[in-house]
Amino acid sequence: MSEGATRSASEGATRLASEGATRLTEWASPRVWLPPLMAFGLLACGWQLYATHNPHVLPTLSQLVAQVGDHPGLFWQNLLVTLQEAVVGAACGMLAAFVLAIVMCQVRLVERALMPLAVMLNVTPIIAIAPGLVVAFGFGMTPKYIVTAVIVFFPFLINSLIGLRSADPQAHDVLRTLHASRTEILLRLRLPGSLPWLFAAARICMPLSLIGAVVAEFTAPGKASGLGSLIQTAASLSDLKTVYASVVVLAFVGIALTLVVVVLQHRVLAWQRLGTNLR
Amino acid sequence: MAGEALVITGVSKAFSTRDGHVQALREVDLRVERGQFVTLIGPTGCGKSTLLRIVAGLVEADTGSVSVFGEPPQAASSAKHVGFVPQSPALLPWRTVLDNVRLPFQVNRKANHDGGRRHRDPEEVLRSFGLGEALRRRPGELSGGMQQRVAIARALVFDPSVLLMDEPFSALDELTRERQRHGLLEMWQADRKTVVFVTHSVSEAVALSDVVVVMSAQPGRVSAIVPVGLPRPRGEKLETTGAFHEVEDRVRTELRGAFHVDHV
Repeated sequence: MSEGATRSASEGATRLASEGATRLTEWASPRVWLPPLMAFGLLACGWQLYATHNPHVLPTLSQLVAQVGDHPGLFWQNLLVTLQEAVVGAACGMLAAFVLAIVMCQVRLVERALMPLAVMLNVTPIIAIAPGLVVAFGFGMTPKYIVTAVIVFFPFLINSLIGLRSADPQAHDVLRTLHASRTEILLRLRLPGSLPWLFAAARICMPLSLIGAVVAEFTAPGKASGLGSLIQTAASLSDLKTVYASVVVLAFVGIALTLVVVVLQHRVLAWQRLGTNLR
Repeated sequence: MAGEALVITGVSKAFSTRDGHVQALREVDLRVERGQFVTLIGPTGCGKSTLLRIVAGLVEADTGSVSVFGEPPQAASSAKHVGFVPQSPALLPWRTVLDNVRLPFQVNRKANHDGGRRHRDPEEVLRSFGLGEALRRRPGELSGGMQQRVAIARALVFDPSVLLMDEPFSALDELTRERQRHGLLEMWQADRKTVVFVTHSVSEAVALSDVVVVMSAQPGRVSAIVPVGLPRPRGEKLETTGAFHEVEDRVRTELRGAFHVDHV
């Protein structure tokens, strides 16, 4: 009885993990795309109105577009740097977290020993770690990778661990009556079963990785490039057009990264959409 | 096919829970002949599932001994002699139906080459279960009844010596449940495997079994053994006959006794 309850609870979580956003196919209906489009339109109008009357506080949207259009190379170069920091750092952090989660899942002792450390790393404000890393590793890419990896590490670790532990206890029983080894159970049951959680975690981690990259650039400006450095340099020169244009570019990068994860999830987890009567 | 498939002697098992010590089983003795279909029935908490899990090697008994075709449960499962069908189908949703049934071959491979075993072709087993159209579909596309049949196919594909079923039809609606029951009878009639079947339903127990084992709770023990003695093969008609109802009544009376003990 209690096993059945655990099972449906874990299935509920799987579904929750997959249904954070509207499904891709539903975007064809105007009932889905019209409301957000209108909200965006209203926001743009408000922005434009406010910016026209306060030119020294906020540049207009048309000025932002012109700014990017006038200096495409500048934004593109810096975007590539920030993107590289975010993606490489996040990939390292997520991989390390996933490997540790597998070890923790297989060896309880490792979880007991290392989880408090991971929690401590998580509660330490990331911005406080960055300056020390710059001193240690210089103005190159290394401290940026580390900051980005650290920021995605904990959420990915926790999600991976929950995902690996979420295996259907009754399927686990079936495998045990076949005398499957712990490694076989990991490969056949736990790893594939954890995929929905991994994708849910990746969707959280992608925007986080951009935060990590920008924060790291803030603490190591000067010669270094990247959209974060660009924002800081421009802000010190009161060049609001460049500041806000960079912010908008960052927002679009965030959307693009999330979309990549969503599309991958859609492809890899096709079986999940069939799971409606799986009980 | 004479001889004993399962010998359970003096098995006790206690669990410590938050509410204290629960004696799930006390001094349980049971013998199951080869080729017999035995049902365990009893009130919730009588330890029938625990007993099944001990035979499956999933739980270890505190005292007493269990032998599955002459071996302890752990050895039997390591040689893949045990087919287990849990309460829910517990299929892997990312695998196709066919790949789910192939799973038993993909783990614990060293037991695959045990001489004299008659491994069944997963595709053939599924076809014989009326699932030929569903081979490449995913479990999520099938009805609950079909999923449960896939789970039974997965347990049978290895030609286990004993099939252990833990309330496999309890999640299905009444009509599907009856259809599954007759499907199982038909399949069982073909090769007469030793089956231990746990259920809450008296009519299910009588329709399927050679012997109904009634258990009582706290502590869980065997309170009566009712031989069914109805002719085989059994069809749907049987359940409307007087002889069927007579056996049903006897099991019900014993069950009432088991519940009564429960309340003293």
